Amino acid sequence: MEAVIEYKCPNCGSGMVFDAAAGTLSCPGCGRQDNIEQMMDPLKSQTFTEQDVKEYHCTSCGAVIVTEPETSATSCSFCGSAVVLSDRLSGQFAPVMVIPFTIAKEAAMKAFKKWCRNGLLTPRGFMSADRVTGITGIYVPFWLYDLHNDIEVQAQGTKVRIYTQGDYRITETQHYSIYRKIQVDYVRLPLDASEKMNDALMDKLEPFPYDQLKAFKTPYLAGYLAEKYSYDDEQLFPRAKEKTSAYVDAFISSTVSGYTNVSYIDKQVDTTMKRADYVLLPVWMVRYNFNRAEYTFAMNGQTGKVVGKPPISKAKVAAWFAGISAVSFVALKIVSWTMGGGFL
Amino acid sequence: MRRPFTLLAALLMFVVCAAALAIPGHSEAAEAGSETKNLIYDKANLLTQQEWDELNALANRYGAKRETDIIILTSTNAENQDVQLKTENFYDDQAPGYDKPHGNAVILTMDMRNREVYLAGFGKAETALDDSRLDKIRSKMTPDLTRAEYAKAFERYITLSYTYMGYKPGVNPDNILFALWFQLGAALIIGGIIVTVMVYRSGGRVTVSGATYENRGTSGVLEHADQYIRTTVTKTKIPKNNGSGSRGGGGGTTGGGSSHSGSRGSF
Repeated sequence: MEAVIEYKCPNCGSGMVFDAAAGTLSCPGCGRQDNIEQMMDPLKSQTFTEQDVKEYHCTSCGAVIVTEPETSATSCSFCGSAVVLSDRLSGQFAPVMVIPFTIAKEAAMKAFKKWCRNGLLTPRGFMSADRVTGITGIYVPFWLYDLHNDIEVQAQGTKVRIYTQGDYRITETQHYSIYRKIQVDYVRLPLDASEKMNDALMDKLEPFPYDQLKAFKTPYLAGYLAEKYSYDDEQLFPRAKEKTSAYVDAFISSTVSGYTNVSYIDKQVDTTMKRADYVLLPVWMVRYNFNRAEYTFAMNGQTGKVVGKPPISKAKVAAWFAGISAVSFVALKIVSWTMGGGFL
Repeated sequence: MRRPFTLLAALLMFVVCAAALAIPGHSEAAEAGSETKNLIYDKANLLTQQEWDELNALANRYGAKRETDIIILTSTNAENQDVQLKTENFYDDQAPGYDKPHGNAVILTMDMRNREVYLAGFGKAETALDDSRLDKIRSKMTPDLTRAEYAKAFERYITLSYTYMGYKPGVNPDNILFALWFQLGAALIIGGIIVTVMVYRSGGRVTVSGATYENRGTSGVLEHADQYIRTTVTKTKIPKNNGSGSRGGGGGTTGGGSSHSGSRGSF
């Protein structure tokens, strides 16, 4: 059983790739475009034995495809054909859904350059974005969690009223015992399941437009890199709980209002996983060399949002600091002047 | 070469900006035109000649800027006259005033016999240096008077009278918003906070919250209780802010019919 899938154009025999702008599988040779949603996925008709495939061969040129163990889609390093390693996308590694790229490589590059130009604190040399060493489109494995939270909260609240009576200042504090039983459901909470990806970076890429979720078909991966998950839904569940705990706390405090001060005595949060879907989400990774240091940026392949720590220019920081301070100083002077103080 | 230059330019801009606003312009021309008046009547001989010269020059310079005579009157009070009456009689008899006789003047009277001090504001100074402002000046100079550091106390009186007259009548001149160190400090803190936030946000920020993923249809409060338990009450006495050695006082009207503000106390 062949574990490598390639897309040969039925017209001319060239290797077809996914076209992000058109959303179709297209042939760079003759321009043929195939609607992916109506295609038969060759993956569906395949079954694999338990033992891992040790070696992959390019079906075009026969060369050994060198990959990392997580890679599920790549291109042949010899002939450049887009290949999908189907055993890494089937069985337990079969994604349920995928958000295809809508930003193609050129558009991503353009968007990244624009983002660099808008950097308020980045050095002048960085803003020109002419030292990009690599831009790679990767389908990053994510788990989308549906979480159900049963919450019980015990708290003490006070309402404080201060008033003066004659020569005395009177502080009246009313004490309350607070109880809340709350149910909160979170749906499609994304958590990246790739070991290689920086969690903080991936969290900042959100939100992903879920209306663009499509049933998974391998042609979407043609021409891009894809990875399989390093952590399954059970292993990532603690991180999911951690991510929602801030949301849960915010929800709880929104239900306790009208008090001057609230102190929580007991907070019971019982989180259950109702569902976890394995999906692939589109991310452009940009590597940038600047002053002999490498910077990594990530771009949401659907929305174009760019994240990643750029170099910071000390001179620009100082200029902004001085400028804002000077403006604030003048503003404060004007305030004190309108209040009746001398301007000088 | 470019970087340190930008940095220097930015800092320089801030310093120049701050300095231009902070340092009051010394308009030498205005002072040069007016002759030096005798404003210090040191009958109790509390000052050396050098101190007298310096303080009189200071009173002339600052008084000119506020168009008010800043006067000091010291007395051994052989006739044992009330210090307020003494001040009022002095104003009626000497008819001081920057703009005209019986004009704008603030008078500090020292009664060395009863160790009492009286401050009075006439003309423009009656409103620009009202009772509460005169109280502030007096309470700030009293410690120096008690230590018999008269020159220091008088310098305080002259500069404070000048400073306080720069504020609109009715506002508290000691409001922290008017303090230069506060304005500078607050401006630097605001700049620091905003730039820190800018640096922090330069790497992209999280734009989702719990609401993004919350299922509104099934989320909500199932049970709630807010039970009142008890009320606790604390009473604190409001401290009265009476200055040291104050004996009330306030303003009044001289025998000659000039009304004035005032503050009286001992040292």
